[in-house]
Amino acid sequence: MSDSPILSIKDLHAKVADEDIDILHGVNLEIGRGELHAIMGPNGSGKSTLAKILAGHPGYETTSGEVLYEGEDLLELEVDERAQKGVFLAFQYPVEVPGVSIANFLRTALQARLGEGEEVDLFDFQDELLAKMEILDMDPSFAERSVNDGFSGGEKKRNEILQMAVLKPKLALMDETDSGLDIDALQVVAKGVKRLQEEDPDMSVLIITHYQRVLQYIEPDHVHVMIGGQLVRSGGAEVAADLEAQGYEQFKTPATG
Amino acid sequence: MAATPATDTTGTGLMEGVTDHINREAVESLAADEPQWLRDRRLEAWSLYERTPMPTTRLEEWRYTNLSRKLKLDRLSLLPWEERSYSPESAPRRLKDAMDQDRDASGHLIELDGTVASVDLGEEFAAKGVVLTSLRKAVHSHPELLEELLATEALPAGLGKFQALNAALWTDGVLLYVPKGVRLERPIRVSRWSSEPGRAVFSRTLIVAEGASQVSFVDECLSEDFEEQMLASTAVEVFARDGAQVQFVSLQRMGTGTFHLSQQRTLAGRDSTLDTLNVGLGGTTARVDLNARLQGPGANSDMLGLYFGDGDQHFDFNTSQDHVAPNAKSDLLYKGALDGRAQSVFRGVIKVHRGAQQTDAYQTNRNLLLSDRARADSLPNLEIEADDVRCSHGATVGQLDQNHLFYLMSRGIPRELAERLVVMGFLGEVLSRLPLGGVVEKITGIIDEKLHG
Ligand SMILES: Nc1ncnc2c1ncn2[C@@H]1O[C@H](COP(=O)(O)OP(=O)(O)OP(=O)(O)O)[C@@H](O)[C@H]1O
Ligand SMILES: [Mg+2]
Repeated sequence: MSDSPILSIKDLHAKVADEDIDILHGVNLEIGRGELHAIMGPNGSGKSTLAKILAGHPGYETTSGEVLYEGEDLLELEVDERAQKGVFLAFQYPVEVPGVSIANFLRTALQARLGEGEEVDLFDFQDELLAKMEILDMDPSFAERSVNDGFSGGEKKRNEILQMAVLKPKLALMDETDSGLDIDALQVVAKGVKRLQEEDPDMSVLIITHYQRVLQYIEPDHVHVMIGGQLVRSGGAEVAADLEAQGYEQFKTPATG
Repeated sequence: MAATPATDTTGTGLMEGVTDHINREAVESLAADEPQWLRDRRLEAWSLYERTPMPTTRLEEWRYTNLSRKLKLDRLSLLPWEERSYSPESAPRRLKDAMDQDRDASGHLIELDGTVASVDLGEEFAAKGVVLTSLRKAVHSHPELLEELLATEALPAGLGKFQALNAALWTDGVLLYVPKGVRLERPIRVSRWSSEPGRAVFSRTLIVAEGASQVSFVDECLSEDFEEQMLASTAVEVFARDGAQVQFVSLQRMGTGTFHLSQQRTLAGRDSTLDTLNVGLGGTTARVDLNARLQGPGANSDMLGLYFGDGDQHFDFNTSQDHVAPNAKSDLLYKGALDGRAQSVFRGVIKVHRGAQQTDAYQTNRNLLLSDRARADSLPNLEIEADDVRCSHGATVGQLDQNHLFYLMSRGIPRELAERLVVMGFLGEVLSRLPLGGVVEKITGIIDEKLHG
């Protein structure tokens, strides 16, 4: 089992729900346990759409293809079920939840993972939360602030990684977590992700990014290029360097089929 | 707001809302054994009622609440006053459950179908001169106080059709009097229960907090669910004298089929604090008219409101921050969530009279729609006649959108719980501003039930 991929996407086509807007045109991707993949690609190529579909966003419809997560049909699962089974999406644009503190939010999320009659231990939880905040260089007072309410762009991104650190996913989808972070923050976040991978070497990560910079801190095993809703090139870390040097122009001949 | 409907001068509105049961004979029979001043007051109020046209949606204040459709006065009969007593054994389940959740109180009054059935006031407070009693009994025990303050300064019959109706037909209610300097740490609680469909119940509350006294008052009204309409009309008059601190909380939890009409006037004296919280959760139609008059310099009123509607509930809040004195402050925050086909109206005016310099007045109404068919109308308004003031108002109507829910659910939180978190987070801002023992838990519990029912 452990050498079968955690995620396997086969010829995935998807559109905006209730509208004739096709976005993904046959995506193929396999992610093995413990692997770190990166997707790069120009604005509007469908990267976030892919991530949201994997997390179960109701605004998109898959028209063909399949997605297996740990051998199970992922697309059949509700959003919360996917999360409970270990899928985590760090949002490109995190949502504000006024009046709900980070601590309350995360405690509720952890509690939802437990069975009937089980309770999150409040002291353990508090310790864990504060420890993770320290790793991410966040002031402890953030625990009592409303989720993302009035947060700066960088604080929102950091908060996404905090949630990831507490919820400990098996498959983390990180959508442009590096955008909007200053150099120091980027290093802190990268360190946080690395630490999670050390704690759980089986954790798989899919990073969506526009910049090679983050990939120097978190080294990917595979880099894919998405253009027009397809992954048009896959390779090792050299792909990112190549993109940095040459841009997307080299792929601009539309893929046939 | 308060002084809208001019009495009818053309003659066309005469006798509107006079029915087989709601008529002059009813007023006369109520007043039969009453002292002259009260009889006169009732009959004068009745005359005003007869002469005042029934409000229609052509009036700004009633634009979104169509009385001709929502209130069937001609199908309602009055509930005669009769001696009642309360026994926990035979108490209706809903009422008992509600009271079981209450924490300690300084005093407790129970009203059943418009008649006060039980009054319980801590001895130490009675010894200090605090009065908590049935309004009907107070006519005899505290005639001077009532003659001076009942339906005179705060809610006179001349304010409008329904103010007049209540002033003419009230059967009972509450008198709370807190003498100078007396401070009650725990709240006075009132629990009201209505059990009869097809009836109209009229009740009044008079609260007088003398100088530097302190009291909080929690008024909870409940009822059976009805197939036939039932009208519960309450008039609330609150006086906070100089330096007094008063909190008035109304918890409206009526059953389906009820039309709840609550008219409130608060008069805040010099350096007093007079805060209100109106919670609208029950009823089919619920209208609140609240006029907060900042009458003494340095007075302060926090005006909070919270509502959660579902099914086809209709809430209409009509508020006024009426600044007469200088250096006073009022801060209004009304927040509501609406599910199903529920509808809410918030109409609020900040009125700063000439001479009310250095007024601070704020008004915020926020709504959260949980369904496509729910609706919220918000109409904030400013009327400012003084020049040195700080005022602001704002209104929003937001939708719980799928991105919002998706975010919470993507952390593994099931949909119901996600909705609950968002709603409670949204409404919590109101509750956190008036921390009163047990009230927050109670409201949270009811909203939970509504969300999951
Ligand atoms: N709900 C929607 N309705 C209409 N169009 C949509 C919707 N969601 C996505 N799209 C379109 O699909 C395309 C892909 O969007 P997506 O957000 O996946 O791009 P992206 O690769 O993440 O871009 P960026 O690098 O700018 O974040 C865009 O053209 C976008 O406008
Ligand atoms: Mg994107």
